[in-house]
Amino acid sequence: MTRRLSFAQWLAVSWLLLVVVSACIAPTSSPVPDLLHTQEPPFQDPHWLGTDPLGHDVLQLLLAGARTTLLISIPTAVLASLLGGAAGSVAGFWGNSTYQVQRASAAAGVIGAVIALLFIPQLRTNPFPVGLVIGVLSCTVYYALRRTSWGQRQIAVPIDSMVQALIALLDSIPLLLLVLAIAAVQRPSSMGLVVLLVLTCWTTPARLLRAVTLRTKALLFVEAAVVAGLPTLRILRYHIWPNTWPVLLIRLPLSIAIIIGLETTLSFLGIGLAPEVASWGRLLASIRVAPAAWWLLVWPGAAIFFTILSLHTLVSTKITGFDKHLDVTK
Amino acid sequence: MGRYLLFRLGRTVLAAWGILSIIFLLTRWAATDIGLQTLQDAPTLGRGLSVGEQTRIAQQVRQRYGLDLPVFYLSVLTSDTDTPAWHPHWHWNGTRNQYHRWLRGVVQGDLGNSYREGTPVTKLLLQALRYTLPLTVSATFLATISTVLLASWVNYYNRWRGLVLAILHGIQALPLFLVALGLLLLLANPDALNWFPAFGLGDDTEQYSSWSEELLQYLRHLVLPVFSLLLVALPGFVVQLDGAMQQELREPYVATARAKGAPPVQVVRKHVLHNALLPVLPLFTELLPSMVTGSVVVEMVYALPGMGRLFVEAAAQQDLPVLLGVVLLVAIARLASQLLADALYQWADPRIRLHI
Repeated sequence: MTRRLSFAQWLAVSWLLLVVVSACIAPTSSPVPDLLHTQEPPFQDPHWLGTDPLGHDVLQLLLAGARTTLLISIPTAVLASLLGGAAGSVAGFWGNSTYQVQRASAAAGVIGAVIALLFIPQLRTNPFPVGLVIGVLSCTVYYALRRTSWGQRQIAVPIDSMVQALIALLDSIPLLLLVLAIAAVQRPSSMGLVVLLVLTCWTTPARLLRAVTLRTKALLFVEAAVVAGLPTLRILRYHIWPNTWPVLLIRLPLSIAIIIGLETTLSFLGIGLAPEVASWGRLLASIRVAPAAWWLLVWPGAAIFFTILSLHTLVSTKITGFDKHLDVTK
Repeated sequence: MGRYLLFRLGRTVLAAWGILSIIFLLTRWAATDIGLQTLQDAPTLGRGLSVGEQTRIAQQVRQRYGLDLPVFYLSVLTSDTDTPAWHPHWHWNGTRNQYHRWLRGVVQGDLGNSYREGTPVTKLLLQALRYTLPLTVSATFLATISTVLLASWVNYYNRWRGLVLAILHGIQALPLFLVALGLLLLLANPDALNWFPAFGLGDDTEQYSSWSEELLQYLRHLVLPVFSLLLVALPGFVVQLDGAMQQELREPYVATARAKGAPPVQVVRKHVLHNALLPVLPLFTELLPSMVTGSVVVEMVYALPGMGRLFVEAAAQQDLPVLLGVVLLVAIARLASQLLADALYQWADPRIRLHI
């Protein structure tokens, strides 16, 4: 799998390294505005990239923005890929009829869940005793039903349909609108924004991995493993997963790029991150106050452009190494 | 076919209902107080009132907008002293709740009143659509045509293909708001090139000598927003269609067509294009919803009083009825375009039989 990087890829990697380094050296405290030099053009001694209308140094804002971008986009992309990958693999592998449980345990689970839902307030105030009571109750139900012939029959859990329904639910509204609507009302912190983005962005990796898993499942060695009687989790771990996870890996730079685009758009619109958090999108938004200040557009714009372009370059060249028929960019 | 469409329709309506309900409940539960804050800041309420009067007025406003009702059919009882510990702390509210009223209103075509302006949301949406619809529809139309033209062109003139694809690859790395801002500051800036007006869609108060001049003015205002939407949508589509065409060009029927003496342009236009369009058809029907999403950004940058602007302002000021109204409209647009995709599939390739 070791491949030599092309020139464009070297450029991309070095730009991304530069972004990472600048995120590391960025000042942690919010910079003090230089009120004597507001909206200063670039290439002058103290502020080499100019200042914004409030007197903040653009270079410092760029560095701090790089850190915000990385801290939001990388965890989000990784977590969304993992969540979507897990959901997609499970949906693709088990389908609608393969995963079966005893009616007894299904009934016990349903009863336990219903009781837990009914007693949410009590569960919140003192989780341990109430949870214990509910657990004991559903265990009793399970052991009572296990002996009966009704309880011993198997029923299939339609995992595939459930995952597909969730995906359809999230996909019925464009991602930007969904995130905007929820972020506007919830006013999330940086952490909350990551959670929100993960919960809304996992659908594409899930669809991708479901397709790949379906294809891998039909191959002979998986059938052989099933016939040999290997446990399901072991088949997933050692037979399916090694063939499907590269897809997630290839897609990761693209996911990061999409999330960077989304995050900067949110900050540009003034919704999402708190006002004191520096962000490339917020820096760009300040140009609406000062339309003559071209440096407020050029520097953060170039930063966003080169970062996303580098990530795209990594995707489009790496794809040749793996399954050529698979289009991860969809 | 009919059964399939009906099934599809039912499924998508169900999904849209689900996500709208989730957004409704999430926003109502999170924003009961903040939404009320917007109400109290409304200009109808004078300043300098005593605290008692203010709370009374707030109560009245709550009642007018139905915010005094519980949010959902079920609510958690807060006073747990008079109920025994083993009793579920839920209260059944019946149909007198905000969710039921909202849903009934939506089914009857009434989306409630805006918190900010007090006018019906449907009226606001219709006003906004007057601006958004020309913008998005013309952008969709132009994007479709230019995608087909550009993809056919690069497949015929092969030596430009690498360059055009590289440029498109670069454009793809630009988020929409960056493109819109860049065009605005380059082409509608008194300090740079002042070719196009920077905001709005023409002044209503200004008198034009003829309708043609008015139309020209209108189009001048529309050029930059439409162009930025077009520029961002184009790369993905051209790359997809180009890939499909490259695959088709290797098929034996292309060799047959060439062998019987068809000129290369005709081969691309008449033979290859038709077959290559089929796999990218679903992408094209996603175009209109994605344009509507893009109009959120474009209308903010170019200060057009359209739906996207309405949405962002409603989001910033937590005007929940307007927020939900816009989301509902976009969901409907998406639903319609998905159904259109299915119908188009049938029309483009009668061999395809869609079934459940």
